[in-house]
Amino acid sequence: MFEAPPPPPPSPPGTEEEQPALRHLAGRRRGWRWGAIFWSALSGLLLMAFSYWAYSFVETLFAREDWLGWTALGLAFLAGIAAVAIVIREIWGLSRLEQIGTVRALAERTLRSDKQEDATETLRGLKALYGHRVDMARAIENLSYSQSEIIDPADRVRLAERALMTELDRDAAGLIARSSRRVSILTALTPAAALDVVFVAAQNLVMLRGLATLYGSRPHLLGTIRLAKMVLTHLAVTGSIAFSDTLLQHVIGRGLAGRLSARVGEGAVNGIMTARIGLTAIDVVRPLPFETLKRPRLSAIAGRIGDTVKDEED
Amino acid sequence: MARSRFSRMADRGLIALTELAEYTGALGNPALRLGVTGLSRSGKTVFITALVHNLLHGGKLPLFDPFAERRITRAYLEPQPDDDVPRFSYEEHVEALLGPDRHWPNSTRRMSQLRLTIEYQPRSVLARKLGRNRLHIDIVDYPGEWLLDLPLMNMPYETWSSAMIKASHATGANTHGAWHEILQQADPLGPENETAAVRASEAFKQYLLACREDQIAMSFLPPGRFLMPGDLEGSPLLTFSPLNTPPNGGTPPKRSQWAMMARRYDAYVRNVVRPFYRDHFARLDRQIVLVDALAALNAGAAAVTDLGRALTDVLGSFRHGKGNPLTGIFGRRIDRIMIAATKADLLHHTSHDQLEAIAALLVEQSITRASFQGSEVDVTALAAIRATREADILEGGDKLPCIVGVPQAGEYLGHDRFDGLREAAIFPGDLPEDPNAALAGAAEGQVRFVRFRPPQLESGRWDLGASFPHIRLDRTLNFLLSDFLE
Repeated sequence: MFEAPPPPPPSPPGTEEEQPALRHLAGRRRGWRWGAIFWSALSGLLLMAFSYWAYSFVETLFAREDWLGWTALGLAFLAGIAAVAIVIREIWGLSRLEQIGTVRALAERTLRSDKQEDATETLRGLKALYGHRVDMARAIENLSYSQSEIIDPADRVRLAERALMTELDRDAAGLIARSSRRVSILTALTPAAALDVVFVAAQNLVMLRGLATLYGSRPHLLGTIRLAKMVLTHLAVTGSIAFSDTLLQHVIGRGLAGRLSARVGEGAVNGIMTARIGLTAIDVVRPLPFETLKRPRLSAIAGRIGDTVKDEED
Repeated sequence: MARSRFSRMADRGLIALTELAEYTGALGNPALRLGVTGLSRSGKTVFITALVHNLLHGGKLPLFDPFAERRITRAYLEPQPDDDVPRFSYEEHVEALLGPDRHWPNSTRRMSQLRLTIEYQPRSVLARKLGRNRLHIDIVDYPGEWLLDLPLMNMPYETWSSAMIKASHATGANTHGAWHEILQQADPLGPENETAAVRASEAFKQYLLACREDQIAMSFLPPGRFLMPGDLEGSPLLTFSPLNTPPNGGTPPKRSQWAMMARRYDAYVRNVVRPFYRDHFARLDRQIVLVDALAALNAGAAAVTDLGRALTDVLGSFRHGKGNPLTGIFGRRIDRIMIAATKADLLHHTSHDQLEAIAALLVEQSITRASFQGSEVDVTALAAIRATREADILEGGDKLPCIVGVPQAGEYLGHDRFDGLREAAIFPGDLPEDPNAALAGAAEGQVRFVRFRPPQLESGRWDLGASFPHIRLDRTLNFLLSDFLE
């Protein structure tokens, strides 16, 4: 006789499928990319060539005069340190951008799952982003007051949004309005069509950087480029929706302004486009999704641009 | 049942007329009628007091959106609008809660009403231009026992009588003994006999009181005025009781004992229950259902089932569903219902999710029905006034999540007797993960449940704020009121 084997242990309850954190940074690819290899290899080669040239240059100078050689060496050393600092700064800027994405994914997950650990993690991330900022000190303090209460995890995140984002959203809307106003005026006043492309692009980049800095990441060169890419991707994904939302205003606005002058009409269009890019950028750089607070509306910003354009013409 | 249908239609007509009068009277600044629904001891009075006190004194309500946005400019109590209903004695209750001998308010013995007015900044420009900046909130407090009367409106005497008798068999003989004796002697088909009727109703009342004493069978307790007569003490409206159904089934003869009892039952429904419903429940906009699930869980599976049935019966009497601006003039519907499991401060917050799940399961049927009719339903674990705080206690290397508060004098825990002055940390126990298991009685004896005194408000402590501490009162208010304050 053999004894019946013990029943198999009950299979663990279906672990809640952990949805991969929503990459709000759309359009990121992983894995080998030939382009990346090409550029890394090429830049490595150039770096080697450059350092070889610098080395031999310094050597030549030493051969000629000692003090020339020392000066060149010192300058090279300084340049090296600065280069390292720049690289570190870029990496840091990129990681801040990444951090905002992570906090946002966490916040979205908390709002869905209502789990305590997620909420704690989200708030820790927010504190890391804003803890050292003087302008946010009050908001952070307000927030930590209510953290001693019994509050549901999802509500905790909503509370954090109200405490931290209210001012930032207002500032961001102002920043966007200022940028689009500037773009409108510049477009209307620049004599050459080719020039305003440069102006608009530069102004948009400045705005993106300003927004990112406002919400807690401080992108420099690479960060800004990455950010611009993300915003463009996001715009491409959501653009059609945003477009149909404001098509009417767009057409009417352009029509009216265009009656006055073709340049002013173009200025209005560029201004609205800048505003839209700015609003999209908020989606990308804001560490919390819009849950309790209302998203700044294009119509409000567009209205302000219109006022200013009229002012300028008076 | 032609008469009953007629009376129902007459009711609707009366309700519609009142509605219309009110609508034209308060054009622009409408009143919101908040229905605080709950059986006795579920915390209606405390909830109303805490709500009003928090709004008047600017308590900590970070999740109440209009409040967090600083759009509420002022809140105050308005003079009583209805002259025939006494005012809710708010000041007295606050005094009870905050006074030197702080204690929970006594149980409510009669109807009372309160009008709270909130002045606010509307969000939309149009509303601001129209001067729409005030919201009146009408709240009614009443003895919870009376709520059990509502199902009687759709129940003829025969049905009620046989249901009562059937249910009474489930209780012990020393509870129903005296009444059953009289019941057996009674002759339903015999001629009217006033003395017998008085004797029977007195015995019936004693039986109901005994039931309440033993904490059994809430849903079989109607009619509520037998327990809490209010101003009907000794009225002939209350001299009726169930009778055994006559064996032949047919219509009992006129002027028989049965006919007299049926007549009095109908009069009770007509003169007591219907006006109560019509004046206070038919015109609600929002409803909060307070459920004291903890007490029932402590008492065992039977009490839990019974609580669920009583609430489901009661909630069946309300008009739920989406409002419609046109028909809304003639009759409102409750479009948002909050199911609140009260006294959540007696548990550690890690058990609140389970408490919510249990409360939701208790009234599942009503929730489904109301959502089907288009109402929004939310469930929360609530403590309108939080009497405890939380602390971890290390015991043998384990961290026990405890609650700390001042237990009421005379409460026991093990061999400990509390004097009402000392603070105590108590491990309240965990609720079962599975709400179904809890309803089946798994929580019986699992949760240690000590009554605490109300918290002491010290103005020097920032974490208590200017008003009573609470758990999720702000979330509840946000769900119930915020869209009226847009």
